[in-house]
Amino acid sequence: MTTSRRGFLRLAGLGALAAGLPACSSVLPAPDTTAPGFGTSATGTVRVWCRAATQDGLTSLVDRFNASQDRLVVELTPIPDVQYVTKLATVIRARDVPDLVDIDDINSLLFVYRDAFTDLTDLIADLGYADRLSPGHLALATVEGRQYAVPYLADCSVLFCNTRLFERAGVDVDEATTDLDALRDAARRITALGGDVRGWTFPGNDQGTLGFVVQPHVWAADTDLLRGEVGAQRGNVVGNEAVARTLEFYRALWVDGLVPPDAFADDGSRWGADYQAGRIGMIPYNYSTVVLDSDPEIVADTAVRLLPGPDGGRAFFDGGDNMCIPRGAANASGAWEFVKFALDLPQQSALPEGGFTPVRSDVATPEFAARYPLVLPPLQAQDEGYAPQTLAYNEIYNQPDGPWLAMFRRAVFDGEIEAAMAEAQTGYDRILRQAQA
Amino acid sequence: MSAVTAERTSAPLASRPRTARRHSLTHPPRVGLLLVAPALAMIAVFVLAPLLFALGISFTNWPLIGEVEFTGFTNYVSIGSDLGFLRSVLYTLLYTAIVTLPILVLGYALAVLVRSRRRGATLLRTVFFLPFVVGLTTLSFVTLLEAQPNSGAINLVLAALGITDGSTAWLVDGPLATALISGMVIWGVSGLTMLLLMSGMQAIPREVYESADLDGASWWQQEWRITIPMLRRTIAMSLVISVIGSLLAFTQFYVLTKGGPGSATATVVLYIYKRAFVQLQLGAATALSVVLVVVVALVTAVQLWLVRGEE
Repeated sequence: MTTSRRGFLRLAGLGALAAGLPACSSVLPAPDTTAPGFGTSATGTVRVWCRAATQDGLTSLVDRFNASQDRLVVELTPIPDVQYVTKLATVIRARDVPDLVDIDDINSLLFVYRDAFTDLTDLIADLGYADRLSPGHLALATVEGRQYAVPYLADCSVLFCNTRLFERAGVDVDEATTDLDALRDAARRITALGGDVRGWTFPGNDQGTLGFVVQPHVWAADTDLLRGEVGAQRGNVVGNEAVARTLEFYRALWVDGLVPPDAFADDGSRWGADYQAGRIGMIPYNYSTVVLDSDPEIVADTAVRLLPGPDGGRAFFDGGDNMCIPRGAANASGAWEFVKFALDLPQQSALPEGGFTPVRSDVATPEFAARYPLVLPPLQAQDEGYAPQTLAYNEIYNQPDGPWLAMFRRAVFDGEIEAAMAEAQTGYDRILRQAQA
Repeated sequence: MSAVTAERTSAPLASRPRTARRHSLTHPPRVGLLLVAPALAMIAVFVLAPLLFALGISFTNWPLIGEVEFTGFTNYVSIGSDLGFLRSVLYTLLYTAIVTLPILVLGYALAVLVRSRRRGATLLRTVFFLPFVVGLTTLSFVTLLEAQPNSGAINLVLAALGITDGSTAWLVDGPLATALISGMVIWGVSGLTMLLLMSGMQAIPREVYESADLDGASWWQQEWRITIPMLRRTIAMSLVISVIGSLLAFTQFYVLTKGGPGSATATVVLYIYKRAFVQLQLGAATALSVVLVVVVALVTAVQLWLVRGEE
């Protein structure tokens, strides 16, 4: 009995060790991107992951690529957005990675920082249009000057203005969108039109969207809510004048009744519908929500401006997708061939059909501008695009219990701006400390 | 002879002849081992091995992405200063305190209502048990829709009754969200308590109640003096199930509030989930899980010990 128990324990120990050892091994080997014929003459299958939010566009892209040649077959696997990071991390640890991942650009750095993606710097430099690629996207995948991702599509937060309501209220779009005071004044005059018309709208209980549309006001003042190098960051909330004034702006919109009452509890599920119904003067959001499936007359009466800061300046959230080749990819050469196809002008020019903005600024020909005028402002001002480089974006901004939403709600709905910022500072610091441990 | 028998039966265990028992316990027939081997193997593979593996992970930093490093007791030591975790512990205890008694009382009342064999009892049992069958996930999604301001059924009914104006945002206020979730859970789970208690009630011999009737005991006296004492073990089991379920609450909070607003409704398991799959820190999350397992085991043991002690 004693012997068999000891034997069992030995067996269990060996089993645990056997299971643990492969899981413990870390960085996968990088593919040789300098090999002759890399990215030009690959064969076989290319396994590509995309996130569900951009699945439709990727499906169409893959179909066109597969029809364009007969050496490679791209197999697309859509992953639910909320599970993307976890699933990708899991397959990396299991050493069974896809050949290419189309990933939310805000999550790129999580993997780049931990050596999970292939260095694409030299390949990007050889593209011939590297200087036309979205710098905001690239910054999210750049560490120590090396680039580990290439932008594929942009999903930007800008300000959409209902010019018909502006005209009725006697407000000029350009004059009304220069700074926060001008925006508030315009919102007041549009709301004064009466009925259920409101000057502005925001989803007060949708942390992700609020992060998407409110932060650019702060960035336009050349500051951020985070400070320090990635890996040693802290919150930059307390004492940040731009943050305080942005929260005051939203507080005034709420107190003065310049937004619909539903804003208090709106989790984003119905947001945008009132703009599409012509009842909202200004909505800060993205192209797809405002334009796709909307009344063509409303779209025709819409003007787009970048989001201003408290005293001027412009910014927009440079969201969207990056394409990355995981280390350990079996067919990296085929993956790069597909990336080049995705970045070609015909494919980039077609992105607005799916609600997205191209990442190549040289796509903006006169024909393109005439066809997609509402896509143009962020494309022509790519340098104003920004997204925070941090390892804790999701926890700070995309969680309902994160410090961002708590600060926004306490400041805007309770009016405790200073206390909200102090509380947020503690929350930012705590989360960053844990994420960077 | 009788003296010898009495002496034998009252003799301490240590003085009894042990040869036969030792033989049967420590050298069981091979066929016995073979019979339990599959169960032992299953437990070893699916319970013990993962538990040992988890214990191992808890002594590392184990990020979901990147290098794994041995960190000793760091994860355990840092629990004491993890304010988010401590807050979630307090909230979970509060939530457990709120829902446990109502689940028991409502379950008991429903069991009283359906324990007889009169007409319609089966239908009532089915109706009362249905929310439990539907499950907390589905109930949570339904509640999510019905709690919407101005459009959800909860607000429309309250407005129709003149209690509110129908615009209550239940899920963006900590106390309101806790009240809503507690109400939903009490309604959804008390069906199980009803079923357990009803089975216990039906097992009480009818003669006991007939005797009480002859003695002139009222309905209330019969419940208080007969039913509840004889249901003690079943009530204890219901409480254990209910308390464990509350301490491990996750689904309803994940669907309805995700721990918000702020961290006002963050339960322990939800917090652990976020440490693992939002912060991607499996080592720290596993250490928290190990602590939770130990605490839940202790709470359960204490509950069972209390009941056993009274018996």
